[in-house]
Amino acid sequence: MPRGTIFGRVIVGLLTIFALLPILWLAYSAFLPPNAALQGRIIGDGYTFDNFVKLPFDTLLRPLLLSLVLSSFVAFMQLVIALPAAYAIRNGTPALGIFLFLLSVPAELLLIPLYGLLQNLHLLNNPLALVVPFLASPFTVFLLYSGISKVPWTFVEAARLDGASNLQILTKVIAPLLRPEMTAAAVLGFAAHWNLVLYPRVVLNDSNWWTVQVALTELLRKNPNAWGTLGAAAIVTSLPILILYIIFERRVTKTLEGGLK
Amino acid sequence: MNATPSSPRVAPRFKLSPGWWGLVPSLLLLAVFVGYPLIQVFQISTLKWDGVIAGQGVGLGNYANLLSDPDLGRSLITTLIFAALTLPAFVGLSALTAIELEGTRLERIVKAALFLPGLWTIGASAIGWYTLYAPDYGVLSTLTGGVLALPWGDKAWAALVLIAAFTIWQHLGYAVLVVSAGLKGIPSEVLEAARVDGASESQVRWQIIVPLLRPSLIFLGVIGSLYALQSYTAVFLLTRGGPFGSTRVLGYFLYETAFEKFEFGYGAALSVLVLAVAFTFAALQARALRSE
Repeated sequence: MPRGTIFGRVIVGLLTIFALLPILWLAYSAFLPPNAALQGRIIGDGYTFDNFVKLPFDTLLRPLLLSLVLSSFVAFMQLVIALPAAYAIRNGTPALGIFLFLLSVPAELLLIPLYGLLQNLHLLNNPLALVVPFLASPFTVFLLYSGISKVPWTFVEAARLDGASNLQILTKVIAPLLRPEMTAAAVLGFAAHWNLVLYPRVVLNDSNWWTVQVALTELLRKNPNAWGTLGAAAIVTSLPILILYIIFERRVTKTLEGGLK
Repeated sequence: MNATPSSPRVAPRFKLSPGWWGLVPSLLLLAVFVGYPLIQVFQISTLKWDGVIAGQGVGLGNYANLLSDPDLGRSLITTLIFAALTLPAFVGLSALTAIELEGTRLERIVKAALFLPGLWTIGASAIGWYTLYAPDYGVLSTLTGGVLALPWGDKAWAALVLIAAFTIWQHLGYAVLVVSAGLKGIPSEVLEAARVDGASESQVRWQIIVPLLRPSLIFLGVIGSLYALQSYTAVFLLTRGGPFGSTRVLGYFLYETAFEKFEFGYGAALSVLVLAVAFTFAALQARALRSE
């Protein structure tokens, strides 16, 4: 084990403050009265719940609900689609290389041809554009494969001797053993989809289908100095992430550390 | 496999593994939404296309224009400065943090705190950063009477520093996990043996730990560079390329070309160029790691 230094500890302490400061500030500013920013005071004017009560439904809360539904569905489907793929690779189908290659393709650079493709498929301005291209995730396949390769294969062989079908092996033997990896993959998949900023703007320009990120950027653009409203909106829209993180933080960081060795 | 009923069953030469069908949905979806665009980007790069009416072929014209585009040159320089600001800090701070935290009581909680910004609702993060650090009405500026105001509304350097700081803020936690994974792979006997032989702590750190972490650090260097080449979310959220185009990194330049100026063909040619650089980087990394 390496030993620490005073200098190192100070830096790590400062970095931790730097990491948490914007989040703590959001939680604090959400309770500030409307005149706080105008007067440039952050203490002494009391606190209020009004900012939360006044959050607009159509331009914030509905996008929040929509994103919750879409990102949860995408994260779930990524597991459903990736698990059989990881199983097939573990059984000896030589496809891992394809997924590793696809994992290294930077998706941002394919936005133009993807736009053309969605246009040809008549999926532009269609909410399906927020779902279908994300259903298969090479990252999820890779994460589940590295989990599956740690499963003692005698379990699977025993189940096979008992006459279990592949589908039964997947759902009854593998899935329960892969709970940790599946949890981590689902949390990361959810967050990745949840945090798409430009893609939803590009493929859907209908305000009925705003996602949470589109709503937040519009809110900031229109009220750059409304600390209270902005803070309340930011905290409410971050609750899903915060809750997931509080429950599953250990799984996520452990899996990332373990999967990277 | 389709043995006729009369012929004796012969073992097929090419045997499919059990459950091979599990790959079909993934591979089909990825072929359509990644594979096809990866090929299509080359075709679009030979078009003049506004994204609406069918494009016209212009051969290699877009590529010729790339070579003489002063805005692209500027964007490249901006990207290099951005990479120079983020990469050393990204790699250095994550190595320092991981080494410092290894085996301490606070390891878990600090790692959890550092990783949180990477998942936090990004639009909310932008709000937090904007209200804290905005040059005019930001908290920091207001509370210090303007002394600590980072003038990113009109100074190019300040805007780049802001984008770099935001980027590091978002990704440091992940980088720490990468280095930690590497650290946990170093057998503690190696370090103990060095100490028994009289090596000082700084020798242990610089001459044993850091060299053994090389694969992790190379990995971070490469993913950091790839990210610098294509990232644009932070720029979009905080500065929109400004002031005066000073934060127009390559990824944002690409986004503007296609989705604000509607020059899809030119944007596709630029994508091809960046893809080529990205794949070269990835290949170099693979080679560097294989030679370990």
